[in-house]
Amino acid sequence: MTTDCDVCIIGSGAGGAPVAYALSKAGQSVIVLEKGPWLRDEHFYKDELACCRRSVYTPELRHEQHVIEEADGKGGWRATPTSESGWDFWNGTLVGGSSNLMSGFFHRLKPVDFRQLSELGPIAGANRADWPIDYADLEPYYDRVERLIGVSGHITPRPDPHPAQEPRSRADFPYPPTAEHPVSAWIDRACESLGFHALRVPRAILSRPDLGRRACEYSGYCGSFGCASGAKGGARAALLEPAVATGRCQIRPKAKVHRLLSDRRGRVTAAEYVDAEGRLQQVTAKRFVVACQAVETSRLLLGSRGPRFPDGLANNHGQVGRNLLFSAGGSGSGDLEYASLTPEQVAQLKVMGPFVNRALDDWYLIEDAEFAPGPHKGGIVEFLFAHPNPTGKANRAKWRDGELLWGRPLKRRLEHWFRTDRTLRFEVFCDWLPTDDCFVTLDPQVKDRWGQPVARIRTGHHPHDLRVGHYLAARGERVLREMGAVRVRSSISGAPPANLMAGGCRFGTDPATSVLDPDCRAHEVENLYVTDGSFMPTGGSVPYTWTIYANALRVADRMLQAAA
Amino acid sequence: MRRGRDTSPDTAPAASRLTDCHRSLLTRRAFLAGLAGVSTVALFGSGPARAVEAEPDAEHRWALLDAVQQHLLPSEPESPGAREIQALAYLRFVVGDVKVDAEERGFILAGTAWLEDLSLQRMSASFLDLDHEAREALLRQVAASPQGENWLSTLLLYLMEALLTDSAYGGNPDGIGWRWLEHTPGYPRPSAATIYPRLPL
Repeated sequence: MTTDCDVCIIGSGAGGAPVAYALSKAGQSVIVLEKGPWLRDEHFYKDELACCRRSVYTPELRHEQHVIEEADGKGGWRATPTSESGWDFWNGTLVGGSSNLMSGFFHRLKPVDFRQLSELGPIAGANRADWPIDYADLEPYYDRVERLIGVSGHITPRPDPHPAQEPRSRADFPYPPTAEHPVSAWIDRACESLGFHALRVPRAILSRPDLGRRACEYSGYCGSFGCASGAKGGARAALLEPAVATGRCQIRPKAKVHRLLSDRRGRVTAAEYVDAEGRLQQVTAKRFVVACQAVETSRLLLGSRGPRFPDGLANNHGQVGRNLLFSAGGSGSGDLEYASLTPEQVAQLKVMGPFVNRALDDWYLIEDAEFAPGPHKGGIVEFLFAHPNPTGKANRAKWRDGELLWGRPLKRRLEHWFRTDRTLRFEVFCDWLPTDDCFVTLDPQVKDRWGQPVARIRTGHHPHDLRVGHYLAARGERVLREMGAVRVRSSISGAPPANLMAGGCRFGTDPATSVLDPDCRAHEVENLYVTDGSFMPTGGSVPYTWTIYANALRVADRMLQAAA
Repeated sequence: MRRGRDTSPDTAPAASRLTDCHRSLLTRRAFLAGLAGVSTVALFGSGPARAVEAEPDAEHRWALLDAVQQHLLPSEPESPGAREIQALAYLRFVVGDVKVDAEERGFILAGTAWLEDLSLQRMSASFLDLDHEAREALLRQVAASPQGENWLSTLLLYLMEALLTDSAYGGNPDGIGWRWLEHTPGYPRPSAATIYPRLPL
């Protein structure tokens, strides 16, 4: 049967783009359907309104939204549409997805993340599971990502390697570290005096020109912004543009896939989408890859009913949407006051542009009897400056003790807030334990602009997540205090960070408890793959992007082997 | 909060803030619903409900917004106020921008009618004819109701945007707001030709 292409990929972000790249390089014809527009480097400016204060790279919530279920404190759940709450769960609806907007601090998972159940045991109320692959299976692909995307960093060599360093097949990164801020050395000194081991964090940002892209220009505005230089290793710049250059990869932006059509044999036959002009279109292919980011991937499968799938594609065991993951933890901060520093130190602190590139992973495994007997999964503490966007900070200044402030008192407060210190922050990343209270379904009432049911997300967290988060935050606070920061505080909560999502279509060996097989092919649908973060049964304690890239390359290899 | 993206906290409310956001929306809706009714004072302050005075025309409405903005962010010799940051021009951009929630844009404009009505009732004069102290007293009365507080909070938000976002959008001319608060912008900066309404979205 003739099809439009060998492989149709729905979603062009960190999960879809590596597959598009690898398959088109290997000679397969690929069509990528992306709901958002195709912006290029020249369309990205350091424009706070565009990046962060208007829905420019994401849908407007009145057109497309989610319904969020939160615990109501009485044993039930309270559902609120995001068009009412303003709590936006979109992360980047454009070619390249939210990887365009990442900060690019990159971490691999560690071997224990693949075997949490075996090595650390069950936790009551959590659906812990081992992965069906090991770290060694993914390591070659982590390595490949370093070269393909362009990861900058430095590995401390023997005989004094970083204690929690995960195994690597190569001694060092292909690119030297990005320029580092003077405060990084202050963090190093504070950690050393506390007996902590500061980790020099790699970045998915080119520190020198290569791969047809420019090096970082160090404007100081990275996370949440698109990259104008091409240095950031987002999926668009690093993978899709080379894929398109093969002549075998076609990207169709502004193509909103409504559903995947399947036949009586249970095979996917076509992706049905609405194009920019509102016309209903189809793409036929031999194989289909879904990578719409965890929530939307589950939503698409649940909404794609067919003769063999009355409850949604690949969902005859009721597993699609379950065990959704976010990243547990929270954040903290402290203010470094200019008045307590020398003029030279103040000048150093005010430097804009270079990256902090420091984290702590000393407690990736917590082995502390005061926390609990036995080893427990911990996480990382990542240091960074408060975001340089000024408007949000200024807007917060208008509230004092719950009352509105204006006039000269507001102006004096703005001057104080902006001119007397710089805020150093940390973010805590720890496992969001999978539970039966965190999942995606289709909302029975709320529809999107095309009349499709929106995703309804229950966001329950496991109380253990908060214990781990507090443990790590306390250590982050110690570093800030050691540096002389004042007003040191932290906040750990069970609120899900919407940009750090995974799970919903677990991979595993048992179709009764997982959606995907170890190759991320649907157990129930022989020509359907899922390559975003949905596959993860447990999340690990670092941002997901590097792992999603690596796994998608791994799956692409399996797809090529299967095709051969 | 979006960890891993260094995002300003206020752009993504945490769950604990959800209720506040919802309340804000509901007060805005109640306020707008009041336009069709009679209860100016009930919305902006305590007192007997009464019929709305004739609504100000567009020019008068913008004059009221100008006056309120200048009161909320006054000009001083050493620091810019609403006038210097071209806050009114910026607000005109906001009110004409389809990316801003239509309900919010309507709310900004509708608030002027209620303010003027309250001023005529309480002060027996247009807000424009009040001196500084009387304006302050009236705005404090406005802020005492959830709806009025929400309206003033909205105006303050767009004042901060006019102060600190790129001059390509009409406020912050020549980076006057950035200089005052010693803020270093990023680059490349947008121009009038590359602001977000002109992107190929």
